[in-house]
Amino acid sequence: MTGPVPSKVEAPSRPADEDDALWREGFKAGVPSLFGIAAWGLVVGVAMIKSGLTLTQALGMTLLVFGGSAQLASLPLIVANAPIWVIFATALTVNLRFVIFSALLAPHFAHLPWPKRLLLGYTSGDMTVALFLQRFPDEAPALGKVSYLKGLLYPNWTAWQVGSIAGIFLGSAVPEQWGLGFAGSLAILCILVPMVLGSAALSGVLVASATAVLAYNFPFKLGLLAAVVLGMLTSMLVQGAIDKRKSHVRS
Amino acid sequence: MSDLEIWITILALACATGLTRSSFWLIGHHITIPPRVQQMLRYAPACALAAIIAPDLLLDERNAMAISLLNPKMMAAVVATAYYLLRRSMIETIILGMAVFTGLRIWLQ
Repeated sequence: MTGPVPSKVEAPSRPADEDDALWREGFKAGVPSLFGIAAWGLVVGVAMIKSGLTLTQALGMTLLVFGGSAQLASLPLIVANAPIWVIFATALTVNLRFVIFSALLAPHFAHLPWPKRLLLGYTSGDMTVALFLQRFPDEAPALGKVSYLKGLLYPNWTAWQVGSIAGIFLGSAVPEQWGLGFAGSLAILCILVPMVLGSAALSGVLVASATAVLAYNFPFKLGLLAAVVLGMLTSMLVQGAIDKRKSHVRS
Repeated sequence: MSDLEIWITILALACATGLTRSSFWLIGHHITIPPRVQQMLRYAPACALAAIIAPDLLLDERNAMAISLLNPKMMAAVVATAYYLLRRSMIETIILGMAVFTGLRIWLQ
């Protein structure tokens, strides 16, 4: 495997992907975020049960989906009996930010076999991507990149699942009247706030919110899709106007 | 939803995770996303999340508009947003928001 490649004289052998010291470094970098991840999992776990999922369904969801914001977004739609394609489209939209992350992260690992890439990509959430890119801003091969990523990933995944499963059991034990399901909406609010710092994003979100409320009774939850499309277009128009004004000022 | 429908939904959600998080991992080599597309990818998630919670915060049980100081969910969300902007702590924000929501709800009963 690591022998010289005669056809590519210039390419030196790639530094090893795995390195114990880098694994520990990744682990240390991720530790401060683990408590928050577990708490976030706990809220999602409670919200799943409070939306009427059974214990098995909730466990299946947390283990298979592993995406807090998409899970939370799907719950009110499941309660409202929305068509499955609408729930899928919504989750896909909520997850679109991951496409940007994957474009940033993937070139570091393009040399790995595809099943490994699929799995590493699948489990790389917001925090993992941010911390990895802080340590390795450069796409060039470097020692122990895979180890560093795993050092972030495994504890992150574990903390999330432990929190989530604890939430599932906590949610089952707490009476409905406590209204704990609302914690899910508050959690979404916390992810949303940093996304809307900026007038373009904020105007889109205001338009989307107003549309979603006014069109709430549309059949098949189509009001939701209308809200996303109108909100996104608003954001892009405002962004376009801002960019135009900036280039005016500069010239 | 029936048990089977929920499981199909869960599998659909798992696909949504895979399609987005693994997308460029499977393409492999470096690709620069055009700025226009990048804008869409950035703005759409915020709009979707807002569209999901806005009805929960602003409509009452009969789906009528409830923009009022006496709407526990709306007031909790206002306080939570302000607190999160100041402190950036999700856990504290959720605890405070739940306290406002529960307090107002019990007080109004």
